[in-house]
Amino acid sequence: MTDEQAVNEYNVMDDDTFRTMVHDFYVENYPDELRFSPHRMHWDEIGDWYLILSKKGWLTPAWPAEYGGMGLDANKLLIFMDVGESYGVGRTPDMGITMVGPLLIQHGSQEQKDHYLPKILAGEYIWCQGYSEPGSGSDLASLQTSAVRDGDNYIVNGHKTWTTLAMDANMIFMLVRTNKDGKKQEGITFLLIPLDTPGITVRPIINLAMHDEFAEVFFDDVKVPVVNVVGGENNGWTIAKALLGHERIFIGSPKFAILAMSRLKSMAKSVSLFDDPLFVERYTRLQLDIEDLFASYKRFVEVLKRGGSIGPEVSMLKIWNTETQQRVTELMMEAASENGGIQDGIETGDGLVRPAGEVIASRPTTIYGGSNEVQRNILAKAVLRLPT
Amino acid sequence: MEDISLQSRIDVLSEQQVLIQDSAVAFIAQDEELKKTRDNRFVQPGFDQQTWKEMAELGWLGFLIPEQYGGIGLGFDDLHTVLIQLGKGLVPAPFVATAVIAASVLVNGDNEAVKKDRLPALVAGEWKPALAWQEARGSMCVKAEQVKVVDGKLSGRKIFVPDAGGADDFIVSAASAEGTELYLVNKDAAGLSIDYEQRVDGGFYGQLSFDRVAVGDKVAGIALAEQVLAAALDTGRVAASVELLGVMTRALEITVDYTAQRVQFDKPIGSFQALQHKMVDLFILSEISRSVVLQTIGLFDSQTSAEGRAAAASQVKARCSDAALQITKSAIQLHGGIGYTDEANIGLYLKKAMYLASWLGNASAHRARYAELTL
Repeated sequence: MTDEQAVNEYNVMDDDTFRTMVHDFYVENYPDELRFSPHRMHWDEIGDWYLILSKKGWLTPAWPAEYGGMGLDANKLLIFMDVGESYGVGRTPDMGITMVGPLLIQHGSQEQKDHYLPKILAGEYIWCQGYSEPGSGSDLASLQTSAVRDGDNYIVNGHKTWTTLAMDANMIFMLVRTNKDGKKQEGITFLLIPLDTPGITVRPIINLAMHDEFAEVFFDDVKVPVVNVVGGENNGWTIAKALLGHERIFIGSPKFAILAMSRLKSMAKSVSLFDDPLFVERYTRLQLDIEDLFASYKRFVEVLKRGGSIGPEVSMLKIWNTETQQRVTELMMEAASENGGIQDGIETGDGLVRPAGEVIASRPTTIYGGSNEVQRNILAKAVLRLPT
Repeated sequence: MEDISLQSRIDVLSEQQVLIQDSAVAFIAQDEELKKTRDNRFVQPGFDQQTWKEMAELGWLGFLIPEQYGGIGLGFDDLHTVLIQLGKGLVPAPFVATAVIAASVLVNGDNEAVKKDRLPALVAGEWKPALAWQEARGSMCVKAEQVKVVDGKLSGRKIFVPDAGGADDFIVSAASAEGTELYLVNKDAAGLSIDYEQRVDGGFYGQLSFDRVAVGDKVAGIALAEQVLAAALDTGRVAASVELLGVMTRALEITVDYTAQRVQFDKPIGSFQALQHKMVDLFILSEISRSVVLQTIGLFDSQTSAEGRAAAASQVKARCSDAALQITKSAIQLHGGIGYTDEANIGLYLKKAMYLASWLGNASAHRARYAELTL
């Protein structure tokens, strides 16, 4: 069976066969030492896995088959995700897969699709995101990094920050200011830039997990061809909002909460926590928070699968998912007693569990992608239509 | 009142579901001020007989009853649109207890003559059975122990029988020497006495005491009775959860509406971020509940094992009970002083939620059962 034929067969497979197939593939191909990695892995650690998935045709499960994706329906996508999380498969530098790719499929020109999508699939282009700036966090539209037109090029100057895995990327997609007059949202352009362009400097930032996961990126008279604009000059805010939509459905997916829960379960088994009725009550509450999120996530994914679009209401998934994940890690820490305060993990027989590390690693989830407070503002205004 | 639920934004209803929903929306619109709900509070039988007749005329009482017994034999898929509206409108009628739970016991029992004779009368609204199964507070056990049947005579006590005052007959589970059986018992049978407990929502629970009461027709024998009961109660838990979804949805609508109107410090209080974030959290709870409801009714309409149904029923009852209580309690807070008056309708939603959340196992009990079934 070639992978090309398989593309159309996944959705008609019965669930158990599909689950077993995916699981077996992970067991055979995913490196043992990378299971349940406590940190977001760099390309030198997880790059080979990216290429294995690429070769298998499994890199982009949610992309339509016509663009080289698996074209999974909502149900199969959830199984795919669930199997990966349960096995502890690490996240690749996936901004091309989850963000730029879907965005180009929706808003890119034919030339852009033809150029960029195959290179994402082949692992030739690894992406990072240039949105936030030191002075523009929640108020993203106030961003100041400028792109000034000079013939067929822009000259870009400015400073981006919180750029995840910038050290591993060779491409950045970013928002730049192309007009300083009028409404701040209307002077923003969406731009794709190769990171080896002269004038770009990347400086890693050490986060609370003592890991250089994100970075600052400086732009000093960087020359970028005008053809690298997606969606037209000064239309960047619309495009960014569409992309934030993609990001939010991704952040809203239950995978992180499921992963945290599976670590809690391993730990609970290894130290006999299930004998404690108080623990069981708290564990079950969280389990149901996740099961119920799962039901909600499927409901939203069905909309996408019907060809509909998801609006601001998707913020509810991000809020529920990230806050549940944090509560799971907090129970993990509490149940670990003194181990809740040490760097190292607890050996469970099913890999190490690091309660303190999990608590720390889950902190940014309620901050990035639009803080949960901003998400609540969006829901209050756009869904509940509360007065201002 | 504006619909703020995500149903119209992201869910797809079939043409038939839309028709049924429209008629249910029109039905509750007749009593938007909740006059009937108020008039029937704290007076026997605790619900409105006229409303029951109208529901029969609309065909709703036969939703889950097959056509061969006079029903319309549709699934939860269609029924849930009605149940949501019954919750939104605080409709004073024992729909879940009678048209869902008692109906399910009769349909799944093995007495063909009883089905042919009684079910068409239930569908027509002319006969109301009530299920008497529970023997201990907080129990979900379907095995009869305390109420015994010896030589065709029942003795013992059943508790928490909803709306017993309006019932014509009871379906009673009883322990024979061989095991649990289900019998019809006439409300006026000699030796049966009923004590009533007033519920916070204005309805009543009955406590049934049997002193050598002659049984009527057998509804299910030992081979089936416990399994029939378990299935009916889990179906009832799902239905009560859907009604709770309606209760919480309308309570939130009323509250959002109120905070947009109520002016303090020269601004609508709904413009304050502290209140907005609180209402957003309530909204999320209501939509999480709706997602679980939609998933569960799909599961109940398809082939699923009894254990799978039980776990799903516990999942949805736990979520909807918790969410409805949290939303209605917060709704009182967001209304301020007026929310604590009997005059304001928002309090009626809290009390309905308190009844439905406690009935058939509350959230903690269902989380515990879910843990037992899945851990």
